[in-house]
Amino acid sequence: MNEVCFKNLDQKDPWSLKTYEASGGYSVWRKILKGELTPEQIIDELKTSGLRGRGGAGFPTGLKWSFMPRNANMQKYVVCNSDEGEPGTCKDRDILRFNPHSVIEGMAIGGFVMNATKGYNYIRGEFMEPFYRFEDALKEAYDAGLLGDNIDGSSVSFDLYTHLGAGAYICGEETALLESLEGKKGQPRFKPPFPANIGLFGMPTTINNTESFASVPDILAKGGQWFADIGVANSGGCKLFSVTGHVNKPANFEVPMGLPFKDLLEMAGGIREGRTLKAVIPGGSSTPVLTAEAAMAMTMDYDGIDKAGSMLGAGSVIIMDDSTCMVETLTRLAHFYYDESCGQCTPCREGTGWLYRVLKRIMDGNGKADDIDLLMGVQDKIMGNTICALGDAAAMPVESFLRCFREEFEYYIEHGKSMVKG
Amino acid sequence: MADIEIEIDGNSINAKAGEMLITVTDREGISVPRFCYHKKLSIAANCRMCLVDVEGAPKPQPACSTPIADGMKIHTQNEKAKASQKAVMEFLLINHPLDCPICDQGGECELQDVAMDYGSDVSRFTEGKRIVADSDIGALIQTDMTRCIHCTRCVRFGAEVAGIMEMGGTGRGEDMKIEPFLTEGIQSELSGNMIDVCPVGALTSKPFRYELRSWQMNAVSNVARHDLVGSNIITQTYKGKVKRIVAKDNESINETWISDRDRFSYEGLSHENRLLSPQIKVEGTWKEVEWNVALDFAIRGLANNVINTHQSDKLGALASNTATLEEFHLLQKILREIGSENIDHRLNVKNLDHAISLESNIKLLGLEGIDHALVIGSNLRLEQPMISHRLRKANLSGASIDVINAMAFDFNYRLNSENIISPNQTAATLAGVLKSVLGNAHIEVPDYLVDIEVSDIAMQLADKLSQSNNSVIVLGEHIVNNPQASSIANLVSEIAQHTDSTTLNVSATANSMAANMAGFVPGKDGLDVNAMLAADLKAYILLDVYPQYDFHHSVQAVEALSSDDTFVISLNSFKDDAVAQYSDVLLPIASFYETSGSHVNVEGEVQSFAAAVNAPSDTKPAWKVLKVLADLLELPGFHYADSAQVTSEIMHQSHKQHAHNESIDVKVKRGINVIWQKSPYAVDVLSRHATSLQATNIGQINSASMNKATAKKLEVALGDEYLGVPVAINEAVANNCVFVNANHSTGVQS
Repeated sequence: MNEVCFKNLDQKDPWSLKTYEASGGYSVWRKILKGELTPEQIIDELKTSGLRGRGGAGFPTGLKWSFMPRNANMQKYVVCNSDEGEPGTCKDRDILRFNPHSVIEGMAIGGFVMNATKGYNYIRGEFMEPFYRFEDALKEAYDAGLLGDNIDGSSVSFDLYTHLGAGAYICGEETALLESLEGKKGQPRFKPPFPANIGLFGMPTTINNTESFASVPDILAKGGQWFADIGVANSGGCKLFSVTGHVNKPANFEVPMGLPFKDLLEMAGGIREGRTLKAVIPGGSSTPVLTAEAAMAMTMDYDGIDKAGSMLGAGSVIIMDDSTCMVETLTRLAHFYYDESCGQCTPCREGTGWLYRVLKRIMDGNGKADDIDLLMGVQDKIMGNTICALGDAAAMPVESFLRCFREEFEYYIEHGKSMVKG
Repeated sequence: MADIEIEIDGNSINAKAGEMLITVTDREGISVPRFCYHKKLSIAANCRMCLVDVEGAPKPQPACSTPIADGMKIHTQNEKAKASQKAVMEFLLINHPLDCPICDQGGECELQDVAMDYGSDVSRFTEGKRIVADSDIGALIQTDMTRCIHCTRCVRFGAEVAGIMEMGGTGRGEDMKIEPFLTEGIQSELSGNMIDVCPVGALTSKPFRYELRSWQMNAVSNVARHDLVGSNIITQTYKGKVKRIVAKDNESINETWISDRDRFSYEGLSHENRLLSPQIKVEGTWKEVEWNVALDFAIRGLANNVINTHQSDKLGALASNTATLEEFHLLQKILREIGSENIDHRLNVKNLDHAISLESNIKLLGLEGIDHALVIGSNLRLEQPMISHRLRKANLSGASIDVINAMAFDFNYRLNSENIISPNQTAATLAGVLKSVLGNAHIEVPDYLVDIEVSDIAMQLADKLSQSNNSVIVLGEHIVNNPQASSIANLVSEIAQHTDSTTLNVSATANSMAANMAGFVPGKDGLDVNAMLAADLKAYILLDVYPQYDFHHSVQAVEALSSDDTFVISLNSFKDDAVAQYSDVLLPIASFYETSGSHVNVEGEVQSFAAAVNAPSDTKPAWKVLKVLADLLELPGFHYADSAQVTSEIMHQSHKQHAHNESIDVKVKRGINVIWQKSPYAVDVLSRHATSLQATNIGQINSASMNKATAKKLEVALGDEYLGVPVAINEAVANNCVFVNANHSTGVQS
């Protein structure tokens, strides 16, 4: 446990440059500055490591970095997505708080690999403490001569800037993040073109999650194979899981991929006394909910969660015990997506409001017999038809809640009250 | 791009790699529904209506933003595609008010049309619908934003075509609203195009509000005559009245757009000031009479004052620049048959000895391909909106644009340099440019340039022209009354020749090219307009002239025309006090869209049009009036059955040229220069009577702008009037220059 991003958690001032360097931090960066590592070597090592994007989509990081036209004669950018807004997740916040230098080093390495001399870390608007912590670390790195132009007399240049978001969930979508970073309204762009071709300010850009960047220095220091071996096939390394909800010790846990869910639940102190597990959302609110039975049989890796019927997402495990009313929970989730839809494309703009209003009506005791079919129909019409994944994210919980807990919805519609809470 | 083969709905189709799918389906006539896509705007992919099934893609793909690749198999009609399209349709309709019966867009609504194919007749949405507050965005566009489907065509039009982002999407999610950022109303001179691009009834024509359904009207192709472009339009008419004007596609003329002036001027047609019946002045009193009486009266006047007294050289003809090619031709032919060469249309030119003579030798479409432009003396955006639009497109794709003006104007593109130069120094500056150009080309400078000092500005302007491969020099209206106008034109011609630049002469507007083509200029021994007014002529035929707007020397003009022994025949479409004062007979003529004829645009393109409606009341198309006048005068060669025969005759005749002053004067002049211009929506009599246009911000422009130093010299201040126009103190005006934009008539211009 806690082998990569959280490895210094038990040290004094884990966020300081001193602590970071004492545990081997910036050794990879210094090797690069000395010309001892090539971009190709780094990409190969990342491919070997099996590191997949930790923001939710799980795209192999090495492959992503290899897509950048590194020799194109134009400004290129690396961007770190620290706009951690997915309900249920809080891991990037802790990386920024306790290990900011790993993000800086990871981004600098990315800049070198992709020949991008400028980087931006886009931090969620509400994250004031992580923002200041990261800014302090950045200053330390500049003061130590680790960033800037022709660093340490080498031909490598890298400047890194912090940008604080303004509180929109949608800006965690990478192209909306770019729009926001450009000073525009945060709305996703349609793809293609992909950011690797036309990204920030129209230039080639690679965007990675905070945890992905933070994992890079250790992978390169200790070898891709070392990282891959921590995890399981197709899910290399370890992963941060934010376990929240009805557990005794909600926390972030950095554990090897492939860990059985029941072990993770135990690490979080188990379900509250006298209660039983009812449902689990394993990857953040946008991923399908699982019944207790499906969750208890699952392992915490991409394929394991997929097999159980959901997605690893950002590793945000929301635990619900038998006191939970699923109608109420889904209504709350639907309200979130309704509230956070950017309004750009039709199915999401119109559909999220529709979903929420029908659920709200059911909650108000005015449900109709065909409302479940209606909800299923509306979520199906949003699914896959939108510019970005927010539409899918709004649809998937509706589908899975209705599939797994249909009787609760039928009860609520028939009796005008919750089956669980009465 | 390579030719590739794709398969759409089972048919193999050749296309270019990387083309967007919707371009291919549109070309092949395969129907794919859409709202946000517009061929002239950037891709937004936000409506999601054009989702189709691409084999191998997990999700349906929007045809508007899916680049095609070899071997792609696309289904536009299969179950998956239809399901997505119907899903989007349902979402679009849940919050749409469905108030088609009271919506002006009904019958020409893209949402309505597509809903017929993809919508359901019963809504499953039983929650409350969204209501959006409207904003008043000015006199031209009516908003009903509850109907908006957020396609952002209007937003993109503003940002990409009009060049001012006036509409935007504020708010998020369901609360996203399309609205103007400012409260002053829409400012763009192209704003009406937002009505055309809006697929629903959110933005409709305000003057047309609640008037008619589109299917009740006849649509007639026509040509707008307010500027040098001749934008193609469709005049929609009902019971003999023009009810609305919309743009007609013509890629080489106006693309898909028209200016607000072209779109909304039709309102003037039904203004109460229309002259509707023939009148004669008997002992100082106006009397309405039958046409035959008026025409008899007219030819008797001509006979008495000119023909029978063998003073045919005492007859003059003047016309405004809005007449048709055929009208110009017939009037000059009458004069020349009678034996007079006193013919002119350049009424606003102060000194015709220095008249501008400069060929235009670039096509409108060609303007998009330039890599550099030098614009001299023009506020192009408001004077020639569609030409400005082409230059803007060139600019956006990399062309640099330099400007020499007497005042800084609001260009909607980035200028390479904006040189604010007093009109007294324009010629000297251009002389410097020419000298520098010749220096660049190692050509010996002629004598008149030897003493010229080349300023840094001149050198930079010259270098830009010398270095560019495809540059154009645009000569604008503000130069017309520059004391060195002809020298400036000649310098431009020289500079163009030595830099391989093309030239675009926009110094005279409306249908002035037709006047030139018809030879509506003084012939040998003929008098120009100013000479006529000074020569005590005995008779005039005036074609739609409004002296207090049209003449540079308006006071002298009214005085000369009012002389007791001068017989004046006026053909007018609108009433005017000054016209009534000096005329002896008033012949009511058809206005724009009420007559057939031709417009000649800046590139020399002759565009003929039919009458969209009959001439109202007792008015007649001027070409018919002139033909009958000629017949009554028993002049030979006026046997025309229709205006097309007149056009054909013009095409076969050799064109008369203006007398060309070839001298070049490059000395810096002294004194204060007045650039007098009708404001953009006061350029012709129809626009001046279009009430909605007049109510816009551009319509309100009425000022004599000058800087503090000039105001001090002229001893005027803010609150005063100069030449009858309110003084505006503006440091953007060059020294010793007053820039007048007047939207009303004046009696004091000298």
